Amino acid sequence: MMRSSALSLALGYVALGIAALVLFAAPLWYAWQVTIRDGRNEILQADAQRLADLYRRDGSASLKNFIDARVHMQIAGDRILLLTDSSLQPLAGNLSDWPHNLPAAPGNYRVEVDTADHGIQSTLVHVTQLGNLYLLVGRDNKLFAPLERRFWYGLTAAIAVLSIAGLLVGLITRRALMSRVHSIRRTISAIIHGDLKHRLPAHSSGDELDTLAGTINGMLDQIELLVHGVRNVSNSIAHDLRTPLAELRSRLEELALIRPSPERTFGEIDAAVADVDRVIRIFDALLRLAEIDAGMRRSGFQSLDLVDMASAAVEFYAPAAELKRTELGFHGAGPLSVMGDPILLAQALGNLIDNALKYAPENGSIDVVVRRRSDTTAEISVTDDGPGIKDSEKSKVLERFYRGDASRGTPGVGLGLSVVHAVAKLHGGALELSERSPGLKVVLVLPCGDAHTPPGVLAAGADAGPAPPSPVATATPASAAAATTTPGG
Amino acid sequence: MKILLVEDNERVSQFVIKGLQEAGHTIDHASNGREGMFLGASEPYDVIIMDRMLPGDIDGLAIIEVLRKAGKHTPILILSALSEVDDRIRGLRSGGDDYLTKPFAFGELLARLDALHRRAQGVNRESPLSVGDLHMDPLTRKVTRGDRQIALQPREFKLLEYLMRHADQVVTRTMLLENVWDYHFDPQTNVVDVHISKLRQKIDAEFERPLLRTVRNAGYMVTAGE
Repeated sequence: MMRSSALSLALGYVALGIAALVLFAAPLWYAWQVTIRDGRNEILQADAQRLADLYRRDGSASLKNFIDARVHMQIAGDRILLLTDSSLQPLAGNLSDWPHNLPAAPGNYRVEVDTADHGIQSTLVHVTQLGNLYLLVGRDNKLFAPLERRFWYGLTAAIAVLSIAGLLVGLITRRALMSRVHSIRRTISAIIHGDLKHRLPAHSSGDELDTLAGTINGMLDQIELLVHGVRNVSNSIAHDLRTPLAELRSRLEELALIRPSPERTFGEIDAAVADVDRVIRIFDALLRLAEIDAGMRRSGFQSLDLVDMASAAVEFYAPAAELKRTELGFHGAGPLSVMGDPILLAQALGNLIDNALKYAPENGSIDVVVRRRSDTTAEISVTDDGPGIKDSEKSKVLERFYRGDASRGTPGVGLGLSVVHAVAKLHGGALELSERSPGLKVVLVLPCGDAHTPPGVLAAGADAGPAPPSPVATATPASAAAATTTPGG
Repeated sequence: MKILLVEDNERVSQFVIKGLQEAGHTIDHASNGREGMFLGASEPYDVIIMDRMLPGDIDGLAIIEVLRKAGKHTPILILSALSEVDDRIRGLRSGGDDYLTKPFAFGELLARLDALHRRAQGVNRESPLSVGDLHMDPLTRKVTRGDRQIALQPREFKLLEYLMRHADQVVTRTMLLENVWDYHFDPQTNVVDVHISKLRQKIDAEFERPLLRTVRNAGYMVTAGE
């Protein structure tokens, strides 16, 4: 209850406000006091001067009479008057005694006096020596006291209003905040209990809480996607692992039942081990996918040369292509460096070439091209002249375990393109499929940093942009491979 | 070879122990981390097979780190059900020399143990290699069989070099993928087989006795023996 950030913030502001008020009032009070004191001293001195003039002109008896008359006729007003002899015994005036602590020397003093009308009060007095008499002139404070009182009342009231308003604002803010925090908490506990559909309420105000809610909603989207992916994978596992497991089971059961010759038994055992290997392969692919999807592999990113990697992959698959009498071509001018996971990118490219090899016809051709696509992206494309993929199937082939009509009867677990797709996403890139007639072009797009080589060289070679001004004006590179031999533009 | 197996799963242990004994090795078995650490630190072994996840408070990686800190350089093969690339990297970083994911084929395990053992014996990477009448000089990159010189592509050279360094041992496809091409995935097509048959064309085709042999259900072996 007391640990509310809104409330403590409001209280802090109240304290700050009070401090500001006091800082404002204190010099004002001081200046006021000084002005009043100076003004009163002047008035008192003028009073004393007038009485002194009277004394000099008409003598002490006349002064005594004048003061007596004033006091008796009640026309002294707020004045305090006292005339004493040299031993400070009162001769005339409205004070009964010379105030103690007051020295018998001319000057201005602040003393406590006991007046008949207003009782004891602190006031300014002026003392003058006239021959061997002492004259005390003062004015009581009743003129200024109410003003001062009002000042203090005003200040107190301001502080009170400020405190109450601050407290109220704090309480209201806290209430509003708590209601939103409560709604966030309700949503989150619904999510904790398994319903990932819920989203935090977002107002359009765009304040801090809204921004936070937006971020949390984004996180929830990602979590839902991941959970959905996991669910998909488990469904796929259930579906696709059943087939080889069923085969394995019937194989083993048959062995136990029929008990064939040792020779056939060994053959069956080998086949069973192959079944298990197939299951393991599916598992590995699925786990790899899950690992990529979870985004955990980003820690393995390093700078690598795509051209280098692709040419190694092409070299790796070349003998297999040769065996199938398929032409496996490579075009790429390096270096073209990207930040990525070398293991995963090699696997992605391997899967693409694997696929192409699988679908390219006898005597067909496969082209692997690495080039810079724009200032910030690079692409690897693998083009085959196989049966291609129907438009209706394009989005499905990226789904896990989907196998197109053309792939029936070929080996594979139907995870190849999903892995490539996941790798592309992990790297912040994309996977594009397009129709060739005949064939399929798969493009893996990856973000890359600014080229270490002048971008114009590659762009010109790949016909992706206008030719840059080149010191060798006549040398127009005809292909990406040729571009490497051209001095940089 | 004298081998220490640290593995808590009884079935896997029996399977491995039996297989290794049949292959002519001596096996000590520890079924928990404490015992494994004790044996590994006190007995001289040629190779240690270490399961990653062990019952009790000491896991495989911790044992490896302790052994390495104690100055033991026995080659260690990590056996693990954790297959993610990062797990593998973590395992190798902790001081393991090779990493094999469960479930595994026994042939793969045996081949990797042989390779580890041979590597630990300290091979001079520059000294010439020979198997029967096949000779290779890693420095001049010259390969001859009998009195005939054989021209090899750089990758073919690397492939043959790896096979010859592990002469008389089975080398699996996965080992070749990892060590010759640095690929850590399983190509669906039989690309490695095609590379091997190309290499075989070059070194064996015109000779009476083939040196590069296929070992069924396991991999390949370069050997001059029967």
